[in-house]
Amino acid sequence: MATSLASKCSRVGRSLFGGLGNSLSGLLNTSHDMTASNFFSQQQRTFIQMRTVLKVVDNSGAKKVMCIQALKGKKGARLGDTIVASVKEAMPNGKVKKGKVVYGVVVRAAMQRGRVDGSEVKFDDNAVVLVDKQGQPIGTRVFGPVPHELRKKKHVKILTLAEHIA
Amino acid sequence: MRLEKCWFCSSTVYPGHGIQFVRNDAKIFRFCRSKCHKNFKMKRNPRKVKWTKAYRRLHSKDMTQDSTFEFERKRNRPERYDRNLAENTLKAIKKIDKIRVTREERHHKLRMKGKKAKEQKEAAIELEQSIHLVKAPSVLAEDQSLTLPKIKVKVQAQAEENHAMEE
Repeated sequence: MATSLASKCSRVGRSLFGGLGNSLSGLLNTSHDMTASNFFSQQQRTFIQMRTVLKVVDNSGAKKVMCIQALKGKKGARLGDTIVASVKEAMPNGKVKKGKVVYGVVVRAAMQRGRVDGSEVKFDDNAVVLVDKQGQPIGTRVFGPVPHELRKKKHVKILTLAEHIA
Repeated sequence: MRLEKCWFCSSTVYPGHGIQFVRNDAKIFRFCRSKCHKNFKMKRNPRKVKWTKAYRRLHSKDMTQDSTFEFERKRNRPERYDRNLAENTLKAIKKIDKIRVTREERHHKLRMKGKKAKEQKEAAIELEQSIHLVKAPSVLAEDQSLTLPKIKVKVQAQAEENHAMEE
């Protein structure tokens, strides 16, 4: 049974084989649809621009902010850049209130960014750490991984607070 | 400078090559090229994709355990620089590489043992079963050169047994 199914798979095409392997017990048609949906669900990631909603990964009190301006770059902000944002969601008793305009450093971006050695790095989500105008973080903790490129951008304080450095 | 291994195909990722993806739990996935990255995005399992090292190891197509692999292992403690040590290491690399190649060859030879006989046997069966697609059976009956000669085995023991039964 299994061998016959495998031979069928190879007839359908080698490129599909890996995807089919994940659900070998399933029917051929359904698993084919699944691979296709996986392939197309990958969104093209772009710059952090006006109206991008970012997660706040510190204990400043804000939960979600919306980018209203990138301070550098024509197309928008990338990993390590500073943005101006408006607080969209906040904890009831945090330092930062909803509706305030804040500055933030992009510590994680889903769009890939080149590194100094020519390789690239990308993250799971778009996340920001709120800072004041001088670049000092408002919160006292930073959650999740942050890139070591922040050192080049003079955000050493965020790096020291971070749990993991990637 | 550290040479990392690709998460998908286990090949070496040289500095400046490929892309790395950092998951939110800070696990780093390094990929040697876009081919591996795309396969990862398609959620393929490297153990089920035939060209990866993981598949070949799993199906024992490659040599898996050998003392030569120990030298390549990741070490977390940085070694203090010593000129003599570095020189010796550079000399040893060539030697170890040669040993590894010969061992891999041996492994391949051992694995391929009996392959030719098996192939010939399968070819003979194929010929016998599907020669009628090429030549009509009536032609075959006249011309014996197209089929393999039948091997005759004498069955004497069976005949004796039959006699015993009759008694």
